[in-house]
Amino acid sequence: MFEFAEWLGTTPLSVAIQSTLWLTPLLQSIHILMIGVVFTIVLVLALRVLGRVRADESLAEIHDRFRPWFWSALAVMLATGIVLAIGEPVRETRALSFWIKMSLIVVGVVISLTFTRRMRAAAVAGGEVYSPRARAFAIGTVCMWLFIIFLGRAIAYDVEVWGSWHLG
Amino acid sequence: MDLSAIFEAMQNSSVSEYLRLSLKAMPIVEAIHVMAIATVFGTIALVDLRLLGWPNVQRSFTKLHHDLLRWTWIAFGASVITGVLLLIVNAVTYYRNTAFWLKMGVIVLAGINMLVFELVTAKSAPAWDKGVKPPSAARLAGALSLLLWITVIFLGRWIGFTKGYDFSIPEDVQFDFSTP
Repeated sequence: MFEFAEWLGTTPLSVAIQSTLWLTPLLQSIHILMIGVVFTIVLVLALRVLGRVRADESLAEIHDRFRPWFWSALAVMLATGIVLAIGEPVRETRALSFWIKMSLIVVGVVISLTFTRRMRAAAVAGGEVYSPRARAFAIGTVCMWLFIIFLGRAIAYDVEVWGSWHLG
Repeated sequence: MDLSAIFEAMQNSSVSEYLRLSLKAMPIVEAIHVMAIATVFGTIALVDLRLLGWPNVQRSFTKLHHDLLRWTWIAFGASVITGVLLLIVNAVTYYRNTAFWLKMGVIVLAGINMLVFELVTAKSAPAWDKGVKPPSAARLAGALSLLLWITVIFLGRWIGFTKGYDFSIPEDVQFDFSTP
C-alpha cells in the first residue's frame, strides 16, 4: 500500500493537485461544507428519535425530506475526499486516523442504508416515541460522526495523536 | 495599548504556551472547531434554504427556526471558544494575515444580516409561516446568510494555507547559505 501511495504521489494528476495552490483549500472547504450538511441531518434525525425536535412529524417523513440531501452531500464529500487523498497519498495512507475514518464512514453508510430500508417499511404517522435502545443508538451515531470529523483533522497530527501506533 | 500589542500579549500568555507545548491539545481544539463550524453551517443552511423556499415551503418556518436555533448557538459558542484558542497560539501571525481579518469581517457581516432578519424581517413570520413564499427581504437574508457562511469556511481554510507566508521580505535582507 505504501509503495502504491508513493507511486500515486508522483503521477501527473497528484503533482498537478499538489502544485495548484488554491485547489487544496477549495476542496477542503467544500469537504467541510458537505460534512456540515451530513452531520446536521444525522443530528436532526437523532434529535427526532430523542423527541427534541419535530415531534409533530414522523421520523419517516423527516427521513424522506433529508434523504436526497444526505446522499448528495455524502457523494460530494467522497469525491472531494478522493481528490484530496490523491494530492497527498503518502500522508493519508501512513495515518492511522485515515484508516479508522474510512472504516467508520463505511459503518456510517451501512447504518444509513439500513435506516432507509426500515423507514420505507415504517408507517407515516407522527408523534411516535422511541425505546431507550433506539435513543442510545441515535446518540451513538451522532458521536460516531463527531469522531469521524475528529479523525479527519487528526490525519495531520497522526504521530501526536497515536504515538507509536502511527503507521509511518 | 495598540492592537498588535494585544495580539502579542495573547501569544505570550500561559494558555498559549500550554497549547503550543502540548502534543494533543491542538488536534483536539482544531477538530472541535471543525465540528462546531460544520454544525453552525448545517443548521443555518437548513433555515436559509427554508427562507429561500428550496425545495419547498411545506414545513413551518417558526417551528424549524425554533428547533434549530439552540443548536446553532451551542455550536457557535464552541466555535468561538476553540477559535480564540487557535488564535492565541499564533496570534502575531494571525494579526498579519489578510484572510484572518477578512474572515472576522465576514462573520461580523453575517451577524448584522442575522440581527436585521431577527429584529425586522422575522416579525412578519406568522404571515408567511407555512405554504407561502417568504417575502423578498426574508429570501435575501437567507441567500446572504448562506453566501456569508460559505465564505467564512473558505476563508478559514485559506488562513491555514497563507499564515506565515503573508509578508514580504525586506529588500535589504541578505541570506547567507554558506554556514550550516
